[in-house]
Amino acid sequence: MFENMNFSGIWQNFSSVPGDLLRQLKLLGIGTLTSLEIFVLTLVFSLPLGLLVAFGRMSRNKIVSTVIKAYILVMRGTPLMLQLIFIYFAPSYMLPESLKINLDRFVAAIIAFSLNYAAYLAEIYRAGIESIALGQYEAAAVLGFTKSQTFFRIILPQVIKRILPPVGNEVITLVKDTALVTTLGISELFRAARNESARISSTTPLFIAGVFYLIMNYVVTKVFDMLEKKLSYYR
Amino acid sequence: MENIPILEVENLYKRFGTCEVLSGISFNVRKGEVVAVIGPSGSGKSTMLRCINLLEKIEGGSIRVAGDVMVTTDKSGKVIYAPEKELRKIRLRLGMVFQSFNLFPHFSVMRNITEAQVHVAKKSPQEAAEIARELLEKVGLSDKADAYPYQLSGGQAQRVAIARALAMNPDILFFDEPTSALDPELTAEVLKAMQDLAAEHMTMVIVTHEMNFARDVSDRVIFMDKGVIVEEGKPSDIFTNPQNERTRAFLKGFMDQF
Ligand SMILES: Nc1ncnc2c1ncn2[C@@H]1O[C@H](COP(=O)(O)OP(=O)(O)OP(=O)(O)O)[C@@H](O)[C@H]1O
Ligand SMILES: [Mg+2]
Repeated sequence: MFENMNFSGIWQNFSSVPGDLLRQLKLLGIGTLTSLEIFVLTLVFSLPLGLLVAFGRMSRNKIVSTVIKAYILVMRGTPLMLQLIFIYFAPSYMLPESLKINLDRFVAAIIAFSLNYAAYLAEIYRAGIESIALGQYEAAAVLGFTKSQTFFRIILPQVIKRILPPVGNEVITLVKDTALVTTLGISELFRAARNESARISSTTPLFIAGVFYLIMNYVVTKVFDMLEKKLSYYR
Repeated sequence: MENIPILEVENLYKRFGTCEVLSGISFNVRKGEVVAVIGPSGSGKSTMLRCINLLEKIEGGSIRVAGDVMVTTDKSGKVIYAPEKELRKIRLRLGMVFQSFNLFPHFSVMRNITEAQVHVAKKSPQEAAEIARELLEKVGLSDKADAYPYQLSGGQAQRVAIARALAMNPDILFFDEPTSALDPELTAEVLKAMQDLAAEHMTMVIVTHEMNFARDVSDRVIFMDKGVIVEEGKPSDIFTNPQNERTRAFLKGFMDQF
């Protein structure tokens, strides 16, 4: 696929064919929208799911915590690309004929990403929750707060402040990981760039894609900086 | 009614693993009484307060608050706690101040004091803020309402913690070494706040190493050692004429000062 590419063509293309450049920007822009869709949906599902997984991991019920530990091991211990492929194809192979469903590739991608990121996020949540002093729980208890009030009013806000940096790391990784869904043939930013690159035998589209990823992560970084600043009113 | 003790503790047992920490503690506290609990490190003072405040489960005995059973032990030795709902009600009559303050760092001083009033006692935010302002004035911290805990000295933080506990209007307030984490010069301001409460006949149980305070402010002193109450009585008796050998040994250093 890459063999007939002209690696010296980047600057040529930039300067000599502005019409082509516009076309590329538009193509990659459309791909970016799909990448962003995957990015946002994954966050929407994995951020709360991660909290549930963290609770399961910390559960005093041995069965629950063991199952969740195994889940986290598999999610973190195998390639995300493999998980994508598995979740996309498994239903049609493993289910009996009558129950066969054809999972939409986009849906499969969201499921795989959400499950995978929830596992990583769960460990971050857990570290955050376990870092809160026992005295906070006890002070809340003697004031009469219920368990859920204690968690959502007293503990979670402090946890969020502490886990912002590692969660920021995960979110930045997610932006880049969206490129993996190209394996399922979803036309997002990376795929658009690669196809175009092959078509016109130039690395320019790939270079532009790199810039796009960088811009997205610049925004992510800024957002997390802002959140950290917003929560810096206390220590 | 006046004759029913606010707190009745009977034959309390508590183990951590195989280590028995409380070995049959019994005592009562009457309304308006200030009880000082003293004793060597590791004698089980904190554990006793924590059991009464439902932060630890007991292995035997009973606890009643204003006549209501919080926990009791049947003839077969089975410990029976009141139902969750009842426990929540009983718990609201108890307040506790910790050695390490345990203020909520993400809340302002004001919100530290109003949060439970609003979300536990279901008071209106206005009423809660009104009460908080009164209490802050009482502990001398009116100007700190908008400060955050990290901006307070230890003594100020502990006074906020006292105000936070008082805001729930408890029948009895427990203190676990409230000044042990403080520099000597900050200790005085916290003791002063507690002394003011005593003067208003707030019912208090105070675990403390401040012997002068125990002697001057308490109505009764309980001396604990190795998980039992060795001796209890008026401060004047305990401090000047302890009956038990262990009490005498413990107070030796202090008695010389008197
Ligand atoms: N959570 C726990 N697990 C195991 N052992 C504990 C626990 N909490 C307390 N202990 C033990 O129980 C005993 C009594 O402890 P406690 O804290 O009640 O003593 P104390 O009288 O408050 O001492 P101090 O004056 O040092 O505060 C100690 O031997 C302590 O090691
Ligand atoms: Mg103690």
